[in-house]
Amino acid sequence: MKKLKNSPFLVLIILIVSLIVLNSCGGVPEEKGSGSTTEKNVFSVNEVLEMVSKENDVTRTLYTKAIVGKGKLQGMKFDEDWRKDDVEAGPLPALFLRGVATSIRKGPVPLGLYLGSDFPINNANKFEGEQESLFEDIKVTQKPKYFYDESQELYTAMFADLASAQACVSCHNDHPQTAKTDWKLGDVMGATTWQYPKDSLTYSGAVEVLNAYAQGTVDIYVEYLDEIAAFKSSEKPIIGDKWPAEGNYLPSPEVFLDSVRKLSSYDTMKTLIASN
Amino acid sequence: MGIFKVTPLRKRQFIGGLIGILIGAGIIGFFSLKSSEEYISLGPMNNGHEEISCVVCHADANGNLVQQIQSNISHAAGIREKSVDFGSKDVTVKNCLECHDRPNDRHPTYRFSEPRFKKAIKNIDATTCITCHSEHNGERVSLKAVNYCMNCHQDLEVENDPVDVPHSELIAKEQWFTCIQCHDFHGNHKYVVPTKLNDTIPLDRIQVYLEGGEDPYGSDKKYLGLSEPEWIKTLQKK
Repeated sequence: MKKLKNSPFLVLIILIVSLIVLNSCGGVPEEKGSGSTTEKNVFSVNEVLEMVSKENDVTRTLYTKAIVGKGKLQGMKFDEDWRKDDVEAGPLPALFLRGVATSIRKGPVPLGLYLGSDFPINNANKFEGEQESLFEDIKVTQKPKYFYDESQELYTAMFADLASAQACVSCHNDHPQTAKTDWKLGDVMGATTWQYPKDSLTYSGAVEVLNAYAQGTVDIYVEYLDEIAAFKSSEKPIIGDKWPAEGNYLPSPEVFLDSVRKLSSYDTMKTLIASN
Repeated sequence: MGIFKVTPLRKRQFIGGLIGILIGAGIIGFFSLKSSEEYISLGPMNNGHEEISCVVCHADANGNLVQQIQSNISHAAGIREKSVDFGSKDVTVKNCLECHDRPNDRHPTYRFSEPRFKKAIKNIDATTCITCHSEHNGERVSLKAVNYCMNCHQDLEVENDPVDVPHSELIAKEQWFTCIQCHDFHGNHKYVVPTKLNDTIPLDRIQVYLEGGEDPYGSDKKYLGLSEPEWIKTLQKK
């Protein structure tokens, strides 16, 4: 030790060698994500959330009108307890959205999606705090609201959720636990809340968000078809390329997603192309 | 003679060093065995986890130890954006969900990330599994009180309430411990809920269940958590 103290040159060499040894491994590679590539951020988080929210509007309307609305006319059942073994039914639109949100959270894209209202069927879905006050404005203007959730460090957007189909209105008005019985077509029945951790996204990042949402719709739809496969007493619709409007049919997941893409592609493409 | 002469002191130092290395290698070897995991564990595993290996939850962190040290020094010096895990990766909700994710979960953790649950999660952080299921305690649920429903369901209204003592009355009297006597939190049991309060599961049986004892809701569940071999199969599919 005495020798070491008296040899600053030796200490220097040991330090340099240690640094070389430490650096020679190159460290742990940085995780690759949409933000760590050389690709530039071209979208604000608000633009992306607005884009995916529009896709959600189309999907929900299609599911509510073409599957739930027309399906009911064919005798298909939809229920809030659709996952229970003794209930042979499909998911109601709000639970379809919950299924999409759950699927997204299982994937790598850090996108949060929630549905709430000031008159929800289930009181646990009632807005509180900041969301409650922002929703008052949304009901009047039908315009989105954006804020930064500081406690979770998440960029948050709320979009109006409209009564876009007669099925929304009649089901909510007639539900035994409804807190409001005079819903009309076009009313702001609630709002979707979306969250994302970054303030801006690359082109690929935006496409990842859109794909995560699309995959979510497929996942929950496949779960619905799986439930149908397990029906014991109810008549099973034929799954293929036909829709309930034509009889006891349901579209396959590919046909369903294809229709969503056809309906929403114009708006989405317009925004995506505008970034280039 | 000369430089190769071994003095008795050097000999003792050499033998001592050798014994030390052998003991050290033996200790490392012993604690590396799967059968020794219980000696490394911080405590007895919770219910259902008794048979699983450490690595199911405690995966090795990326890179070797030198790389991890270098990366964290770089992070401390501001050269690198993110720090890295050292030794093993942090255990997160994602780890739990790899085996316990279920489509019928009544209270999935992600739901509580929504801003409107901000107040509730100050009282009970339901965004993470370990708030209620702290591991290495040889139990099922680590909460001391089972009145957690009060954080979100104060305004609950049940139309055509089937229970002889209505939910509204139970809530008004703040009898929050009665909820769990009918409803399991995650909703995975196929269980016929009684309509008379007297027929519900007694609290002492619930307490035994939370501590790791017999399941009072029955063994009929819609989904079961994955076993270690089943979990490994899911990794192989990826």
